[in-house]
Amino acid sequence: MDKSGLDRLMVKINNDRDEIAFSELFDFLSPKINSYYLQNGLISDNAEELTQEVMSTIWSKSHLYDSSKSAVSTWVYTIARNKKVDFLRKNKDFKYNEYDIREFLYQANTEHKNDKYEIRDQVEKINKELDYKQRQIIKMNFFENKSHKKISEELEIPLGTVKSRIRHILIKMQRIL
Amino acid sequence: MNGTVVKNQLIFDFASGSLGLSKSIFASTYLYLNSKASSIHRTFENVLGDNLLENTDIPLSKFSYSDCLTNKTKPVEATNDNNSPLSKIVGPLNDIKWKQIYKGFSEYTPNIDDADELKLIKMEPGTAAPNHSHGGKEYILVLSGSFCDEYGTYSKGDIQINDQKIKHTPIASNDEGCICLSITEKDVIFFGRYGSFLNLFTFIRSFFK
Repeated sequence: MDKSGLDRLMVKINNDRDEIAFSELFDFLSPKINSYYLQNGLISDNAEELTQEVMSTIWSKSHLYDSSKSAVSTWVYTIARNKKVDFLRKNKDFKYNEYDIREFLYQANTEHKNDKYEIRDQVEKINKELDYKQRQIIKMNFFENKSHKKISEELEIPLGTVKSRIRHILIKMQRIL
Repeated sequence: MNGTVVKNQLIFDFASGSLGLSKSIFASTYLYLNSKASSIHRTFENVLGDNLLENTDIPLSKFSYSDCLTNKTKPVEATNDNNSPLSKIVGPLNDIKWKQIYKGFSEYTPNIDDADELKLIKMEPGTAAPNHSHGGKEYILVLSGSFCDEYGTYSKGDIQINDQKIKHTPIASNDEGCICLSITEKDVIFFGRYGSFLNLFTFIRSFFK
């Protein structure tokens, strides 16, 4: 499914409370969210429970999705990530959850003028500038949150090479951002 | 590694959800005050969102879509609360109960359960912070006013990240002084006039942690 497909489903879910559209979105997204949690080192039971929570949030909070501000995939990613952080902090009596800390980022009245398209351009530039291997390392480091050591084991390259590649990627991205 | 790369790394780590609590609050406040940082963050969240879209599929075995239609999740509502993330933790800057360390230099340490120590620092106009270097990295974000040191001038929304090799002496600006948010990964080693006193203070305090 492409981005416009996701957008269409979100409109049906939000405007018509269309359960068929939601089941399509569920079939497409839940396996990807589930593997995100597994990649982040969660055991299967927890990964499934958190995935179910993310999908429930999408259904019940669909009115909070603002298509002019972000892509569906980015919105879903932030929900999944925040649930992961709250889960990993474990400290149940802690007063602030991840939403409190990031709350201002989700407000409609933030004054950041750079719109979705400007951001899209930058993302495309990043994808063009970085080769497959570099994008793979970004994914492992920042999406799967794997340690440098784990990355070096999985890719079977020395730890020093991982570190220098990440550094190289960061320098490259700095020129784009 | 140059400064911008280290700053971007902080932003990327925040987007990936891998920071501890203190650093999350620090990064969030940084994005709140600095629109350039905030735009880099949004771009990187989109990169990570694309990773999700292209991720491998591992279907759920225990849940189906109908399990998600009943709402058991905690309410998350959009509000018009556009306050700084820091003010949720420590309240308004004007109401902070500062603790004077020496004349013109005060601190406030909110009670946060995390290995990295988050601290607010207030320097009266023209006051110098003690010359120090670092055991671990030190992150400084200017919340109001400005300061300068051997490396430049830092104003509201600017951050400085120092590693262990750097010795520096920040001085608050002469007109408005400076309030900063700081994170120290490990205890700082002080030099100069108040150095030995402050090291002793840090040493003694470590017994009460």
